[in-house]
Amino acid sequence: MADSAFIRRLKPLASLQLTILLIALLMGLVVACTLAQVHLGVFGAVKVYMRGFLVWWGPEGASWKIPVAPGGALVGLLLLINLTAAMFVRLEFSWRKGGLWLSHIGLILLFTGEFISGSKQVESNMAIKIGQTMNYGEDLRHVELAAVDPGGPDAKEDTVYAIHQRRLAAGRTISDSRLPFTVKVVKFMSNSRVQQAPFLAAKGPANAGAGTEVIAEEAPNAPSEEQNTPSMYAELSAGGKSLGTWLFSTALLPQTLELDGKKYELALRLVRVYLREHEQEMPYQLTLKEFHHDVYPGTQIPKNFSSLVRLQDSVKKEDRDVLVYMNHPLRYRGYTFFQASFGENDTLSVLQVVRNPGWTIPYIACILVAAGLAWHFLARLAPARRTS
Amino acid sequence: MKLTWIPALGAVLLAVLFGLRAPSPKGLDLAGAGSLPVLQNGRVKPLDTVARASLLVMRGKQTVRDGQRTLQPTEWLLDVVAHPEVADKYKVFMVNDADVLAMLGKRPDEGRFWSFEDLAPKGEEIRKQAETASKIEPQRRDRFQRAIVGLEEKLTAYQRLKNSFQVEDTQDFTAEMAAYAAAIPAGVQAFRARQAGQTFDPAALERLGPFLQRYQFLDQASTFRPLLPPKGGTDKDWSTMGSGLLNALRDGQIPPHAAQYALMLRAWRAEDVNAFNAAVGALKADAEARIPDNASKTRLEVLFNRIEPFYLGIVFYTIVALMFFVSWLAWEKPLQEAAWWLMIATLALHTFGMVTRMWLEGRPPVTNLYSSAVFIGWFAVMLAIPFERYSRRGFAALGGAIVGGATLIIAQGLTGQGSGDTMEMMQAVLDSNFWLATHVTTITIGYSATFLAGLLAHMWIFRDFWLWLRGMIQRALGQAQGETDFASPEAPKALVKATYGVICFALFFSFVGTVLGGIWADQSWGRFWGWDPKENGALLIVLWNALILHARWAGIARDRGLMVLAVVGNIITSLSWFGVNMLGIGLHSYGFMDKALVALLTFISFQELVMAFALVRPLVPPSATRWLVIWFVAHLFLIVLHAFGINEKGFIYFVGYMAIQVVAIAVAAMWPKADAKATPQLT
Repeated sequence: MADSAFIRRLKPLASLQLTILLIALLMGLVVACTLAQVHLGVFGAVKVYMRGFLVWWGPEGASWKIPVAPGGALVGLLLLINLTAAMFVRLEFSWRKGGLWLSHIGLILLFTGEFISGSKQVESNMAIKIGQTMNYGEDLRHVELAAVDPGGPDAKEDTVYAIHQRRLAAGRTISDSRLPFTVKVVKFMSNSRVQQAPFLAAKGPANAGAGTEVIAEEAPNAPSEEQNTPSMYAELSAGGKSLGTWLFSTALLPQTLELDGKKYELALRLVRVYLREHEQEMPYQLTLKEFHHDVYPGTQIPKNFSSLVRLQDSVKKEDRDVLVYMNHPLRYRGYTFFQASFGENDTLSVLQVVRNPGWTIPYIACILVAAGLAWHFLARLAPARRTS
Repeated sequence: MKLTWIPALGAVLLAVLFGLRAPSPKGLDLAGAGSLPVLQNGRVKPLDTVARASLLVMRGKQTVRDGQRTLQPTEWLLDVVAHPEVADKYKVFMVNDADVLAMLGKRPDEGRFWSFEDLAPKGEEIRKQAETASKIEPQRRDRFQRAIVGLEEKLTAYQRLKNSFQVEDTQDFTAEMAAYAAAIPAGVQAFRARQAGQTFDPAALERLGPFLQRYQFLDQASTFRPLLPPKGGTDKDWSTMGSGLLNALRDGQIPPHAAQYALMLRAWRAEDVNAFNAAVGALKADAEARIPDNASKTRLEVLFNRIEPFYLGIVFYTIVALMFFVSWLAWEKPLQEAAWWLMIATLALHTFGMVTRMWLEGRPPVTNLYSSAVFIGWFAVMLAIPFERYSRRGFAALGGAIVGGATLIIAQGLTGQGSGDTMEMMQAVLDSNFWLATHVTTITIGYSATFLAGLLAHMWIFRDFWLWLRGMIQRALGQAQGETDFASPEAPKALVKATYGVICFALFFSFVGTVLGGIWADQSWGRFWGWDPKENGALLIVLWNALILHARWAGIARDRGLMVLAVVGNIITSLSWFGVNMLGIGLHSYGFMDKALVALLTFISFQELVMAFALVRPLVPPSATRWLVIWFVAHLFLIVLHAFGINEKGFIYFVGYMAIQVVAIAVAAMWPKADAKATPQLT
């Protein structure tokens, strides 16, 4: 059977030599990523070697960087293409090759799953005290500018306006009919040192709010993003009238802005991820009832951490107790809650909250690859026996 | 049927029986005393294990000598707790570091074992130096600082051990307890009266005071809890001697178990055999009655300790390997037959040891680095059996025996770590028998198979190198040697087949194990893949095995290429098994182990040497030989350099340098000229 033009064009993409080269490159990247973790931390190393399409390098202190190697994303993508092409070009569709088909499909699924969770996974943290109720997790790596309108004396709910970090770049103006004011970003610092403004010395750019007393100076990024203190200077205006330049920082308490007789609480805070499937829904909430930190008798070795929480959801009419403990997370409506940490003399429990729409993919992929490999190798064993 | 299995089985049985002899110098029931259960680090274990673990940590060995006589571990422990004046003279502290020795005013040629009495005069100085050094992060300490901190920890552990049953200056614990019991009623009454503001007898209070101080001190100092829980109690209800005696304040009753221990210690001090055996008998009966499950476990643990199945495993696997080596020179068939059966008998012993550990812990086989070493060896031997039955040339069996023996040696080297007990309780996140049984076991099987493939490759390369050497000798002498099975062209074919099969097996298990690890991570912290060093290490093994198979299918790696790549598998597996722990980062790290690092780098260098030998035959001398010598010398220089100045940065450079070497040799081995004869593909 003559190959179709399509198949012929696919051939170079499907070559085994390319597969070997890509596997070798991936191994190199994995080694580099592992060694780099000593200095960059896990997130930093993964960002440099794995998440990007190219690995960039420049001498220390220099402003220029050149690409020196393909990054994990590029190698992964090429492997995906190579795998897919190989299935069409090299693998005949037969029982004999069934195992390879199955394992290659599983691998494609695994790679796709990693791309999905790489782009879609949202991780947040919920530090919750005993007796406290929370309906959101905090994303430790991103901040938002929030304006909270507590409403009138008989209002039951706050109205919250929040602007995500990715829109808070210097020079940008954010105006929206839903916002009570316009924000013009003067300077955004992903990490900063916030301190008392020195007496008589050069003042910061702020002329309103807390920024008149403290200043924020840009600082190099901390080894992991969670340790950064983001700050920003922004000019607020309403109806064409300036409300002054303000300093916002995660190191500062919320500041009050009076506008048209309303009081708004302004703060730069960790992005809140509300526990709901759709924007318009009422988020569901968790109340921490008990936290246990068991140790082995006569030692400090932890035996178990567990949080007993009350899950209340007005949308699904759920109201029940759930025990979250090591290796036993709570999965509820798209979010998974893990026992991550604890503090304040065992009265505070920290839950890791993860939303990952692709979490089931690795499970399926693993079964496919394992079954495929077993099929292939066992099928190989049988004729080897007969010929010997 | 031939009876070749009889000598093998006989040898192993004899060794086991030798270990099982109940030690009873002067008719003392040492075995009974050693099996008394105590709670230490959250686990109920026999005193024998406490003694062995302490000796391992302090001395690096499970025994200690008193002049010409070797003391039983339990004997040593009893001296420490009951007769510290004598125990302080035993040389139980290993001091290797020349600078520490100099600080102590000793010379290295005076020996490396010192007694507490030798070190006590310098105790203050040791404590001060250790305090200074411990302010520095563990990874940044230099050799002296690490050594002095280690010595201080050993001394503290020893002193706490001395004060685990009775305060070390005690002469007669039974008499002390009687005096304490007598002082309780009046003392408690006086205390209550004082609390209530009434008149009280200060003398009665003063009589009780020193006892309370002593028992509070005992409660703080003791490293284990010897007093049993009441019948039906849990592990939480064990108590230290100190708290047991303090509790006697409530009702004036000395706990009977404590009183029996006091009798035992007094009898040991007085060398009163009958009283000692009676007290041990009573304590044993008490344990049987109150905690029957734990008591039967501790009995088995003492047997396990005495047989030392893994130590015997090292001895016998070595003998097996030697027998196979000799068999290629002479007595080929009978020696191989005998070696085969000896290997089976050793495997049975190995299995006994592993299963006993599993039962004692109530866990799957692999729970920590130590047990992973035991399991890797065990599985490699198991895997070698079907391959050996298939080819019957001794290759697979030899490979299995070498991996088995070597990993048991590694396990032995890991025993002195931490508390010295290899059956420690699992940290909360690891406390999951399901995942330990699935992920950890499969990934370890993957390690095991990759090592076995690497070992088979060694044999192929060794045979090839040996043929080259023999050819040179024959050319020089001008005469032909007799042919053996080892030299026959069938041998390498069988090896290639076996290696290929084992790599397929390794790929399957390392892949499944790695993905199961991801799924465990997803279950416990919501991240399927976190690029943690240990995860990356496992991924490297998967990728490498996949690369070998693809290179084989593509026809790039022929026989020589396949074998060189399989040796690289050894390097990658050893790095992901130990190297990532040495990086000192990540969720799986166990700390920087410098001795292990030198061993690891030496192993990797040796693997590279083996790879280089694979190139000897295809590259025609003399140019290749010259190249080889230069490379070898350069390499040795680098090893020495790094053995002296190891730090994290040096480690990273070394790994980088190694990687370049490995790639260069692997590429050279796969170069078309390297294997002129085209080999039929196996796919």
